[in-house]
Amino acid sequence: MHVDDPAFWRAGAISTVAIMSAVLIMLTIDSLAAISPGGSNVPRYTVINQHIDYKFDENRGNDVPVIGGPEPLFGKAVDAAAAEALIDKGKMVIQSRACIDCHTFFGNGAYYAPDLTKAWLDPAWETWQAITGATTREDAMVKFLMNPEKYRVWTRTMPNLGLTQQEAEATVAYLKWMASVDTNGFPPNFGHMQSKQ
Amino acid sequence: MSEISLLQSALLLGLYVALAGSYGLVYTIARLQDALILHRMACILYGLHGLTAIAIVAWTPLQIGWKGLIVASSAAFLAIPPITWRFLQRTHENEVRG
Amino acid sequence: MYRSQQLAVKYLAAAIALFGIMTVAGLMSAYYYINPDFLFGILHFNIAKILHIDTMVIWLLMGFMGAIYWFLPEEFGRELVGIRLAEILFYVFFGAVAVVAVVFIVVQYGNSNETALWFINQGRKYVEAPRWAAIGVVVVMAVFAYNVIGTAYVTRRVTGITAVLMIDLVPLLVLYLDAFPAISNMSADLFWWWWLVHLWVEATWEVLIGCIMAWTLMQLLGTSRRIVELWLYIEVALVLGTGILGLGHHYFWIGAPSYWLTIGGLFSALEPLPLLGMVVHAVYDAGTHHMKTTNRPAFYWLLAEAFGNFLGGGVWGFMITLPQVNLYAHGTQWTVSHGHFAFWGAYACGVLSVIYLVVQKLRGLDHLGGTLWKWSFAALNLGLVGMVGALLVSGFAQAFVERAIGGSTHDAFIAGQTNPWFVEGMVTRFIFGLLFAAGYVALVWDLLTIGRRAPVLAAAGAAE
Repeated sequence: MHVDDPAFWRAGAISTVAIMSAVLIMLTIDSLAAISPGGSNVPRYTVINQHIDYKFDENRGNDVPVIGGPEPLFGKAVDAAAAEALIDKGKMVIQSRACIDCHTFFGNGAYYAPDLTKAWLDPAWETWQAITGATTREDAMVKFLMNPEKYRVWTRTMPNLGLTQQEAEATVAYLKWMASVDTNGFPPNFGHMQSKQ
Repeated sequence: MSEISLLQSALLLGLYVALAGSYGLVYTIARLQDALILHRMACILYGLHGLTAIAIVAWTPLQIGWKGLIVASSAAFLAIPPITWRFLQRTHENEVRG
Repeated sequence: MYRSQQLAVKYLAAAIALFGIMTVAGLMSAYYYINPDFLFGILHFNIAKILHIDTMVIWLLMGFMGAIYWFLPEEFGRELVGIRLAEILFYVFFGAVAVVAVVFIVVQYGNSNETALWFINQGRKYVEAPRWAAIGVVVVMAVFAYNVIGTAYVTRRVTGITAVLMIDLVPLLVLYLDAFPAISNMSADLFWWWWLVHLWVEATWEVLIGCIMAWTLMQLLGTSRRIVELWLYIEVALVLGTGILGLGHHYFWIGAPSYWLTIGGLFSALEPLPLLGMVVHAVYDAGTHHMKTTNRPAFYWLLAEAFGNFLGGGVWGFMITLPQVNLYAHGTQWTVSHGHFAFWGAYACGVLSVIYLVVQKLRGLDHLGGTLWKWSFAALNLGLVGMVGALLVSGFAQAFVERAIGGSTHDAFIAGQTNPWFVEGMVTRFIFGLLFAAGYVALVWDLLTIGRRAPVLAAAGAAE
């Protein structure tokens, strides 16, 4: 076969696509194991019963989630089935309200509202605890989610999406679980630095 | 990386590809017009692309593997326009003949 | 004219109509950044954005289908198999899109249950359309594939272009099945979602537009089939050779293993290489024809495609694709800048080129030219480039302030959004968006009237 012959390039196209697709499939199988709950990068949903932090790892050169001791959500530890139910519900809320079309999750979505990857760890919740009169971070988050339009902190306001108490709690659980996922250091320097204007 | 380094690196990377594209564009026009000045301009543009590659290697905080990729890609960018041109000439001439 | 070609005209007209809806929704989305109280309590940013991005996907898909319905009967030498079914489905498709849009606007949200996903909003980017509509899309695409493959089967005539097209339609359809699941695990959800989105817009769609451009070149420049097929195979090899594993550049930060940083970064860094070849090829074609053509608008939109693809996908993409930069640029207006430029260059310009080609044939003209198309071409492209530039400035500011300095907290987000460079970028983007919209109006007027104006203008066009 000669380079002038379309058949040569047809063979090239077929073999290239075949090889690349095969490699993609193999890597996908490996990745799916890592990203399943309980895999190397994604904790089981019961992690919502524990303290979660985000610290720089010298060996890896990026921030990594750190799972600590017991810190039950809403003061009540949940078993695996209940945790999964909360996460399922939380994701349903996120989809039914199209949160990803204002916010980003792991940086994916829309850019009108903040990224929610580490929202559970955001220092701003202290302010919201004060504003909402809540005693815990998760209570402040629930209060905010149920009536965001009441708690304006700048010119862009989150609209009221009609969340019930149950839906808001499930969403908070979801955000706590999400903060425990190892995202190879995204977002960088979260909470370590002072923001400047 | 620092915020300044971020913008510098990104701009250099964008400029790197933009100059490669400009070289390809001017090279092809030079071949079509057979104009010496355009050939020289193509060389200058590739030279600037090369300088951008050197700047990326010297001044960005990318690891050595990525810098190696930049250098290797520069070689590919150099070769692509003439090879594409020759191949286009050849396939179209074969059409006329055949 | 074949029935398939009449159907093609309907699809292309629908595509242009949805392009208009996309533009209006885009202007709305841009305006919220300037006036955050805009329609508060009535229609929020996320709904406007959904309308904007979903009509973008649909108008381009309809453009591809229209182009293929136009070219295929001539390719096969006969009417397409199952054309009656396709004709009915056009109205079903368009009707479904309208219903989905109205529900988005009027109902907006449901409760957190399956009913909402089936009938209102699935809330996954680009595939927000409820499941009932997603089933409709599958049916429409399946019948489309049947029209193509069935006709090939009956005629026993498979050219290189149709073979590539038919093989491409299979993954195109199968990948869309990710529009249905609601996976709780966000990492897994996004992992599969990117199979759909990336392997559509950076793989199967590239092949589709490659096939369409092959036919366009044959008709516009009289290029031989052998040459276009040879280059189509080269393009498929290079674009898919880099793009399939380039999928990894979406796996840097979603919880996937860190080897994707290397693999994804490497392959997506290679993606500009074939695009440079395309630029050389486009300039060669233009030069060897001395910029002369029987259809100037189609020709210029074709050139815009080659350059827009290289700049929007190649240059803008390369700026943000290496993981060291992407860590900061990810999920900012920088991404938006790249997205607008790449979609415009890679797909929109190509579809517009085909539309002008079809208009020339419809009106039975030897030459197509005039003045209005130039105004439209200039306004659309300048408007788009202006938006992209403004978004780039805002994106730089956001990555700089929110991510690199601020550490991406809520307060850092606000600091980025209120940064003067960011704000100016948003205002500038809106202004250029208005220019783009003006270009769209000129485009529609031109498509309706070109070739139908006074004979002296048609003669002037021929003399160009």
